[in-house]
Amino acid sequence: MELLNNLGLGFSVALAGTNILYCFIGVLLGTLIGVLPGIGPVATIAMLLPTTFVLPPVSALIMLAGIYYGAQYGGSTTAILVNLPGEVSSVVTCLDGYQMARQGKAGKALGVAALGSFFAGSVSTLLIAAFAPPLAEVALKFGPADYFSLMVLGLIAAVVLAHGSLIKAIAMIILGLLIGLVGTDVNSGVARFNFGLPELIDGIGIGPIAMGIFGFGEIIRNLEHTEKREIFTKNVSGLLPNWSDIKQCIPPVLRGTALGSFLGILPGGGAVLGAFSAYTLEKKIAKDPSRFGKGAIEGVAAPESANNAAAQTSFIPLLTLGIPSNPVMALMIGAMIIHGIQPGPQIMTAKPDLFWGMVASMWVGNLMLVILNLPLIGMWVKLLSLPYRLLYPAILIFCCIGVYSISNAWMDVLLAAACGFMGYVFYKLDCEPSPLLLGFVLGPMMEENLRRALLLSRGDPGVFMTRPISATLLVLALLLLILVMAPAIRKKREEAFVEED
Amino acid sequence: MKALIKNPRDFWAGIMFIVIGCLFAGVALASYKMGTAARMGPAYFPFVLGGLLALLGLVISLLSLSKKNAGPAVEKFHWAPNFWVLGSICLFGVTLKIFGALLSGVLLVLLSALGSSEFKLRDMLLLGIGLTIFCAAVFVWGLGLPIPLCPNIDALQQVKLCRI
Amino acid sequence: MKKPLFALAAAVLALAQLPALAQSWPARTVKIIVPFPAGGPTDVLTRYLAEKLSTQLGQPVVVENKPGAGGSIGADLVAKSAPDGYTLVMATASTHSIGPYLGKLPYDPVKDFTPVVWVGNATNVLVISNAIPANSVKELIDLARKDPGKLNYATSGIGTISHLTSELFASMAGVKLTHVPYKGTQQSIPDIASGQVAMLFDNIMTAQPNIKAGRVKAIAISSSARSPLVPELPTVSEAGLPGFQSVVWFGLLGPAGLPKPVVDRVNAEMNKTLALPDVKARFAQMGFDQAGGNPASFAQVMQRDAEKWSKVIKDAGVKPE
Repeated sequence: MELLNNLGLGFSVALAGTNILYCFIGVLLGTLIGVLPGIGPVATIAMLLPTTFVLPPVSALIMLAGIYYGAQYGGSTTAILVNLPGEVSSVVTCLDGYQMARQGKAGKALGVAALGSFFAGSVSTLLIAAFAPPLAEVALKFGPADYFSLMVLGLIAAVVLAHGSLIKAIAMIILGLLIGLVGTDVNSGVARFNFGLPELIDGIGIGPIAMGIFGFGEIIRNLEHTEKREIFTKNVSGLLPNWSDIKQCIPPVLRGTALGSFLGILPGGGAVLGAFSAYTLEKKIAKDPSRFGKGAIEGVAAPESANNAAAQTSFIPLLTLGIPSNPVMALMIGAMIIHGIQPGPQIMTAKPDLFWGMVASMWVGNLMLVILNLPLIGMWVKLLSLPYRLLYPAILIFCCIGVYSISNAWMDVLLAAACGFMGYVFYKLDCEPSPLLLGFVLGPMMEENLRRALLLSRGDPGVFMTRPISATLLVLALLLLILVMAPAIRKKREEAFVEED
Repeated sequence: MKALIKNPRDFWAGIMFIVIGCLFAGVALASYKMGTAARMGPAYFPFVLGGLLALLGLVISLLSLSKKNAGPAVEKFHWAPNFWVLGSICLFGVTLKIFGALLSGVLLVLLSALGSSEFKLRDMLLLGIGLTIFCAAVFVWGLGLPIPLCPNIDALQQVKLCRI
Repeated sequence: MKKPLFALAAAVLALAQLPALAQSWPARTVKIIVPFPAGGPTDVLTRYLAEKLSTQLGQPVVVENKPGAGGSIGADLVAKSAPDGYTLVMATASTHSIGPYLGKLPYDPVKDFTPVVWVGNATNVLVISNAIPANSVKELIDLARKDPGKLNYATSGIGTISHLTSELFASMAGVKLTHVPYKGTQQSIPDIASGQVAMLFDNIMTAQPNIKAGRVKAIAISSSARSPLVPELPTVSEAGLPGFQSVVWFGLLGPAGLPKPVVDRVNAEMNKTLALPDVKARFAQMGFDQAGGNPASFAQVMQRDAEKWSKVIKDAGVKPE
């Protein structure tokens, strides 16, 4: 009953004239910067922060949050249409979404992504409303050993992303881990592999890597030969997902939402793992896993829902513990502080209108996004019929400005170009880049937590088995490993049989 | 050589992994402290990973010699699009601070367009100008991102439109 | 060898332009480089002040983040830019009093800069885990003495202010503590709440939520006077370590050879800004102490702090391993 009262209060705040307007401005801006490849929510929110000083705190935070989840929606559009992940979590959407677009099913992919995201957003908003404080305690239970084991589980899940050679996928993960180690080592303060460049002391950003390997690599590959170039099939089959598509997507969306909501609560890398593990789960339980990577609709629905659920629940550690789970959340803390609000559980009691208004606005914002995005799908799909010679210079200029704006460093633009070359080589050698990206993100966290766990246990590796969370995760990782290896071994045997025949 | 390698893509991928793995492991070993398994130094993790990568690369390369793993040849490497696309990106990065985004942006569009076989100067010039103005409007005038727009000449910096 | 020459040339150049510049400044956008990522306390505060300054100067004042390498990338950029008053840096103790003593930096914290105005100080609060049977600085020190090296302290990394503050604490108390670095102080909260890490010097503002929720105990603050934000907490100095003080200054600097009229103008406008009642209230809310004053007093503060931290760094042997 109390929840209903609170939500009532929230909606009365969120739906009040100016707030709903700021919510709309936020999601609209978010969609725009999400769709434009390169430019991300961090730069946008940072720039807009001063303009919110004059607004009442509730309106300001509603707008900034709107930019964040609006960008998530917009980001999946770019991932599906041009194979350009705006951030790590949409890498997974690229895998099957882009393939669907190539088969003329871009509209379906976009529709499923929007509907899945909306559902996930609604459920996780409710979760925040009902259980934020107890869920925050979950985040507090995770120590360094547990995070390490979570990363191990995540990396094994990354192997499943590949649909080619297993051993090459593992090599790509390790390569990603190594690239992730460039920069200052948290535990010793030593700058590693920076080759004397001060710009590399804080490591290589995800922007140049994702933009370079995926975006630039793909462009060069498309330019290779005029005749063979990637032209999307003109016969677009069904702009929007039909009922049978939707029915097919209900279970993946449910599973994705559950996984994403849970992992989003964990401040260290949880949200990143959400989309990846949702995809892995779908591929593992699918009747025909070989469809994945070739345009499986579940491969879009599940990670997109997980992604959005995690984006939403990552507000939980922020609102209740004051721990930011990603750079956007760090900015939100900054925004709260500048408005004289201390993030933390006392918000709920001290400023109930702010807390519940924000929660309710998230749902309102998600609804706006669906209404905004569904009609836009037709326009996006039309964009694909633009001649490629006009499309790719546009992608390039957005990417370049976006990469530059992350930390106003021209070095990042050059790094992205280098990564573009790497992406092209990977393509030539049949090495899939998505496991590399996951390794890149998880690598530093994995090493950091491993060493921290050993430091805290005074060098005793037993800590990974004696802590219940860590032990459970490691057992899960082992099970997953067996599950991953089994079909590969079976396949080898089958191939051997075929050859002997 | 050709007859020996049954799967050239795997073979060269393996070689790539060996080289990169050895590079990381070597640099780690030479420049940073190793530590022990219980108290790892900064070299420990990269050394182990680098070694593992080299080992995997070796396995991939060796497997590619087996008939069972036969695969297609490495497709032809096209230098032209690589040169134009990556070159124009690098040029953009280097000249942004000096020329400003308006000039560098048009340059980026024009030069990268040379990577396509259907290059038309007039179209690309129009596209370049249109795109840079759009970017300036959205990113600089709209969002206020601190991206230099005009060439770094004092007189131009005082023009209102050039202001961040 | 090249550097002094360069600085001299820059200074001569600046002098030549001086009369024209002083009258017309600011004729265009003034850029304040924040050498830290967007959203951090320094960034948020600078954006707030930039907004106020731009109305007073009649020209836009924009903030540009140039994060990296403990702030030294952004500081270096300003050190090497033209001393025309259009590029300033919001420097902190980390870029100018600590960084230069940790390793080689491409700039000299004194010779390559012109102090403009001291903006304020940030204070840290000492929080300890609920699992630690201590409720005061004295009890904490006694506990650490009983079992050298057993108590862990969290920091936001090697050579950061939270690290050096803890080192200063340990050396003044004569105890041995084990260092557990994190990427940011907030990341260590779960491990402090669970008792795996004993103590942390955290920013007074960001530490609030977990203190209020009772997940950690706050026992003292690091400044030399009590804070209006938490008046009930004693200073570390009162509570058992006389003379202990660790605050982080931050202020505006320009490149070496910044013309005096420009320095004076910015200094005056910033002092005016700091005196505004709403700015005062914001500072108090965010747990920052206001400073202000003339450029000379800022230079003194910088020098005093540099001496203090370089000694801590040398005594504790803090350097990347």
